[in-house]
Amino acid sequence: MVAPNRDLDTQTVTTLARAARLELPADRVDTLAPLTADIYALIDSLDAVSPGEVPPATAFDARRR
Amino acid sequence: MEPYELPLTEASARIKARELSPVELVDSALARLEQVEPHLNAFACVTADAARNAARMAQEEIATGRYRGPLHGIPVGVKDLYDTAGVPTTSSSRVWEGRVPDADAVTVEALGRAGMVLLGKTHTHEFAYGPITPTTRNPWNVGCIPGGSSGGSGAAVAAGVCTVGMGTDTAGSIRIPAALCGTVGIKATYGRVSRRGIAPLSWSLDHAGPLTRHVTDAALVLGAIAGYDQRDPACVDVPVPDYTQGLDDGIQGLRIGVPRNYFFEHVSTDVERGVRQAISVLEGLGASVREVEVPYAELTLATEWAILMPEASSYHQKHLRDRPDHYTPDVRELLEAGELIFATDYIKALRVRTLMQRAWADLLDEVDIVVTPGMPCAAPEAGATDVTWEDGAAENITFALTRLTSPSNLTGLPTLAVPVGFDPAGLPVGMQIIGRPFEEATILRVGRAYEAASDTVGRIADVTA
Repeated sequence: MVAPNRDLDTQTVTTLARAARLELPADRVDTLAPLTADIYALIDSLDAVSPGEVPPATAFDARRR
Repeated sequence: MEPYELPLTEASARIKARELSPVELVDSALARLEQVEPHLNAFACVTADAARNAARMAQEEIATGRYRGPLHGIPVGVKDLYDTAGVPTTSSSRVWEGRVPDADAVTVEALGRAGMVLLGKTHTHEFAYGPITPTTRNPWNVGCIPGGSSGGSGAAVAAGVCTVGMGTDTAGSIRIPAALCGTVGIKATYGRVSRRGIAPLSWSLDHAGPLTRHVTDAALVLGAIAGYDQRDPACVDVPVPDYTQGLDDGIQGLRIGVPRNYFFEHVSTDVERGVRQAISVLEGLGASVREVEVPYAELTLATEWAILMPEASSYHQKHLRDRPDHYTPDVRELLEAGELIFATDYIKALRVRTLMQRAWADLLDEVDIVVTPGMPCAAPEAGATDVTWEDGAAENITFALTRLTSPSNLTGLPTLAVPVGFDPAGLPVGMQIIGRPFEEATILRVGRAYEAASDTVGRIADVTA
């Protein structure tokens, strides 16, 4: 999958948090922005696979083979 | 030898034969607790009076012919995540300060039916959200962490305070403290043990299970707590075998897979040496060993955290808004960050998990078990934020301590942690044994075979300041 990098500055984190109905004071945003950037970068590594038609595994199912 | 030092099976045999009373055993455990707790802080709450009462009751039952079985009168510490009726249960968090449940978790009820004696509630990394357990120290070196999140149970078992400690495991939280404290620990198949009455971290990854000094102890406790609970949607209605049956039957002909990728990368020399020696021991006992490629291993952390974080943030959504200052800073940050993960990313991780589960199922057609290092390193020093590897690379401690254990949470596969020795600094190192779904008996048999052939399992730490 080809996708642009996420552009994550403190303003974006504030906006995302508001969209999640989470009020964050400025000092919290400063702390949270780098962590969120790291987590997004980690999650973006999933782009390495293409799940195609594969459905989600919401939990382990012993019957699934 | 003091009663608290007795292996569970020996204490149990003496109790059954009325050569040792549960009161003597519990008094001995409480004396040990008093001795080491100032150095470890393994307990969120100690229930000494209730424990002595329960021990007296057990003694009376046994004296009047009502012996309940091998766990009767055996002391247990229960992670503060498990509800215990009438006993404070806070998940080691100010958020739940003063919370006292009116009912036991299903597993705590089961331990009570088996006659176990609750010594107290053991510390967890707050709400099980971390592999450190910063409240608590490692009995082998009190300058080091015990691992987490079931760190209180790991420390208490390794120090000899509890014969058994209960834990939970979402990204390795039974196996991490088991490896770093040098105990046995088992995370059974997802759905094998009810989680009802245990505070969730991530519903689709959470497991409950014991940390013990010996493999047979783990088999006994798992037998007591395993079983179907229709009110835990994860639970599967599969008959529970007697896990002690065939435990000593050996491993002749067993096919062991040893990963050639991922599991030995950025692993300390001491850990690698210890685990490879343990694999040689298993080979010497008649198993065949072959290298295997672990599928999608490089996506483990991305998949695990993309699932765990939004699930955890969902559970804590209200508290995070009502009393954010009551969380410790690291947990608060993770909960806030989890609010910002997109649903599409979460579902993508769930789809990758499907691929992982299918690929592991294929892998476990080729071999019977997979053996890997339990942790990439021995216990880090308290306060460390990174692990620095021999090539100079620094790795975030949370990712370092969860990257080898998380595959078993994503796949739901049963996994046993077994100590394989000590590094030159005297800190334990361990391996994990991963098996097929609901084949806990196999991984226990492998662990028991290794235990019988080595002298690394069942040691009690001296605990010195």
